[in-house]
Amino acid sequence: MGVFVFLPLVLPLTVLPIARLAEQHLHPRGTTRLLTLLAAVLGLCSTLCLGLLMVVGTAQLPGNPLPDGWSDPEVRAAVPWAEVAGAAAIPALAAALTACATALRRHRRILARTHRALDPLPGGSDTAVLPDDEPYAYAVPGTPGRFGRPGRPGRIAVSRGMLRSLDDDEQRALFAHERAHLNCRHHRYLLAVRLAGCVNPLLLPVYSAVTFNTERWADEEAARVVGNRRLTARAVGKAALIGRTAPQPGLAHFAAPEPGPVPRRVAALLAPVPPARSWPPALTPAGLAALVAAAGTAASALSALNAAVALFVVLKAATPL
Amino acid sequence: MGGTPFGKERSRRRGQGQLEAQVLAALHRSPGPATAAWVQEGLGGDLAYTTVMTILSRLHAKGAVTRERSGRAYVWTPAADEAGLAALRMRRVLDGERDRDAVLTSFVSALSAHDEQLLRTLLDRATADEPAPGTDPEARGG
Repeated sequence: MGVFVFLPLVLPLTVLPIARLAEQHLHPRGTTRLLTLLAAVLGLCSTLCLGLLMVVGTAQLPGNPLPDGWSDPEVRAAVPWAEVAGAAAIPALAAALTACATALRRHRRILARTHRALDPLPGGSDTAVLPDDEPYAYAVPGTPGRFGRPGRPGRIAVSRGMLRSLDDDEQRALFAHERAHLNCRHHRYLLAVRLAGCVNPLLLPVYSAVTFNTERWADEEAARVVGNRRLTARAVGKAALIGRTAPQPGLAHFAAPEPGPVPRRVAALLAPVPPARSWPPALTPAGLAALVAAAGTAASALSALNAAVALFVVLKAATPL
Repeated sequence: MGGTPFGKERSRRRGQGQLEAQVLAALHRSPGPATAAWVQEGLGGDLAYTTVMTILSRLHAKGAVTRERSGRAYVWTPAADEAGLAALRMRRVLDGERDRDAVLTSFVSALSAHDEQLLRTLLDRATADEPAPGTDPEARGG
């Protein structure tokens, strides 16, 4: 099997070109779903691979409670540099799990704090208008009820400063955008991809891609609800311009002028509606690219799974279990 | 505003945030600056005086109420209403949590100088060739 057992650890690299292609050719809804699924599968495979490496490489070390049989010479022959890889897998796995736990805990804490902050405002409506001159607008996802505590519905927190700078129609676009975040449960996609990034840092770039695509998705929903793409584009643009922070010195001058997320969103809204179908016709360049991307994705996911399963089978054969 | 009525059965399991909001609401019902004893009475007397004092001090630390010495005690005035308190706490979450963007999806993200320029150009161009108001040939589908 050789070095192929390490494949699940590096295969996440292939997601990046796929993300690029998907962004160009798919509706943001499709892109978000595709990338999240990919990140989740690759993240799982990579964790599985780390766990198995750790078992194989370290089971026979004195002091390790795992049965020695799990690290049979035959098994170790299948894994190159079994001992080194096993030893390296321990801190890697520990780091991955700690990062996941931290991210989850932080997620819960921020949600709880935000809901607690919004509690004094009257319930009934999902919108909380906060008397604050600082312009901001956030979608606050609901929380499920746990341990006897009732769940909380999702809310939209908008500052008065933000509302003041938008006219009535633009406010409608803003609310439609935030409501789309809540209704389509974008926070779940974001959390899944975030955890995948914790497990394997090579998946981190997928997070920014999914963040951007959930925003685009909500933009498209908002444009559909208010029935005016240009209006939605103007709302996004105006909100960004009043909320702008002081430009970061230095960086902005040297960085290649790659447009940031907001101009890209506005440009996309000023362009025609992206195709609603999730698959472009097969005989166009876009269709071919999508096919190639899909094939690549399937291949990466399959080989990751294959490597993980093969390692597992070798282990199982060598143990009395 | 107007203060939320709270039954006694709920008084046992009230979170800090709810207590703060309640005290603030009671303070709002006062025609002028109020003493802690007045607030305690306004709440139906089911909170200990020391609890009311603690909550008032906490609100003071947050800038939600102001106080003035009058004789041997303080008199308290609300600096902000419940919505103001909510805004205050919301700001603390937004300023205090580094990773909040991962949980709360913001309508727009920060712009770089180059982004700002680009955005202005885009919007200007959009306004320039805007069709008659109310019609949008590009919005279709349902």
